[in-house]
Amino acid sequence: MAKLVLSSGGSVLYQCFLDKDRVGIGRQPHNQVVVDDAAVNGEHAAIFQVGNDHVLEDLHSTSGTFVNGVRVLRHILQHGDVIEFGALYLRYLNPRATSEIDLERTMLVAGLYVSGDDARHERGSLAAEIRVPSARAARIRFPRGRVSAIAGSRAGKTIELDRVVALFGKSGDQLAVVTRRPHGYFITHVEGLRFPRVNHQSIGRGSRMLNSGDVFEVADEKLEFVLD
Amino acid sequence: MAHHFLEVVSVTDAGRVRQYNEDSVAIDRNKGVMVLADGMGGHRAGEIASNMATEIILSSLRANVAKFGSRARDLSPMRAIDQSINRANTAVYEAAKTQSTYRGMGTTLVVALFHDNRVALGHIGDSRIYRLRGEVLELLTRDDSLLRDQVELGLISAADASASHNRSLVTRALGIDKNAAAHVREEDASPGDLFLLCSDGLNDVVEDTDIELIVRALKTNLPLAAHHLIQAATDNGGYDNVSVILAKVLKPFPATKRSRWLSRLFGWIR
Repeated sequence: MAKLVLSSGGSVLYQCFLDKDRVGIGRQPHNQVVVDDAAVNGEHAAIFQVGNDHVLEDLHSTSGTFVNGVRVLRHILQHGDVIEFGALYLRYLNPRATSEIDLERTMLVAGLYVSGDDARHERGSLAAEIRVPSARAARIRFPRGRVSAIAGSRAGKTIELDRVVALFGKSGDQLAVVTRRPHGYFITHVEGLRFPRVNHQSIGRGSRMLNSGDVFEVADEKLEFVLD
Repeated sequence: MAHHFLEVVSVTDAGRVRQYNEDSVAIDRNKGVMVLADGMGGHRAGEIASNMATEIILSSLRANVAKFGSRARDLSPMRAIDQSINRANTAVYEAAKTQSTYRGMGTTLVVALFHDNRVALGHIGDSRIYRLRGEVLELLTRDDSLLRDQVELGLISAADASASHNRSLVTRALGIDKNAAAHVREEDASPGDLFLLCSDGLNDVVEDTDIELIVRALKTNLPLAAHHLIQAATDNGGYDNVSVILAKVLKPFPATKRSRWLSRLFGWIR
């Protein structure tokens, strides 16, 4: 279970479990976490539980709410986050709430819409206008590579390979894709009767890893691959 | 069939972390039907649920495709999807009730049925359907998930949602309640359109902009496109099972003249 630890100058003043839907933080004694500091409002901030998340919200405080040194109005707490109140520190501990992707299994929960509200999303609803982005993949690092065009329509240009795929060649004639993966870049045949050539050798249907300095040819393009 | 109106490719993968694959896909290209489900429940029950759902829906739709427009009792593709989902829901729900190891099992679901230059779509849970038309990838489904509700109600910003831990919490699933509350809609399907059905193992770790880039770049080589989508999910962690179905419309597919004529006739004498 998630836990809050209030400390000052290295010594722990108070700790509690986050077992309520709402936990108030402030100078007033009715708060679940009472922070006795002149810079703190009577009702300074609150932590709400929504699903697996604890969301910290600033309650229009005078001095503001800071998490890890950054001022926030609303913040989804992550394991190890430090919330600052004047000279006091409130640490959020929840090993299940790490910024790495969680391995929680899919579970069914109640939605936030009251049943009638949801009706507009029923039959015939238009395409979703708001998108939920993918999770932050904190630990994955990709290499950085680029190609210099030696011949073809882009001759003389440098093309950064900073996306998952990049196309080379000519649609309808011959196309190859260069794919960025965590362990390097790979070239693969996409379409056309001829296969791409790397260092004058056809790569066939499979994919081939590119080494820095490799020169590849697709349709009328000739390019040199460079890895940082 | 050499001159079929659809090209379809599917791949399902357990990912790098999970031991089992609880996703299921079922396809009948000739009938223009594709189904994808992401199961949930302990003791491999998720596998059972997603398998039951895809098989029942596929066979139910297969049996109904011939009836469209050819009978006085007007069975539309959307109604057929609704019926097939209800049938699958009852089967999973009953199985979960009668067998203790299956208790609580359920599944997300996406289904597409191509008929008469249109595509009927059904969905429950957080699996998705996208359409690439021209250069733009549109999301055609709305996730039944807590995170989605939070973003839509303004409780958290879309940007903050990537820091949430509510990704695994769905608000609807098939087989959990006596009645399935599926979303069903219809879209037109034109030559060149590329439809993508996927489980959340893809879009949870690969941004929509990257999904768009991959399908746009590789739409002339669907097996390579599907492989790249799975690979991108694996390269970004591969924490979950991941499945994709890609369906490209190759040419117009109007309903046959005979069935149109019959339906007009029956519509008239009714």
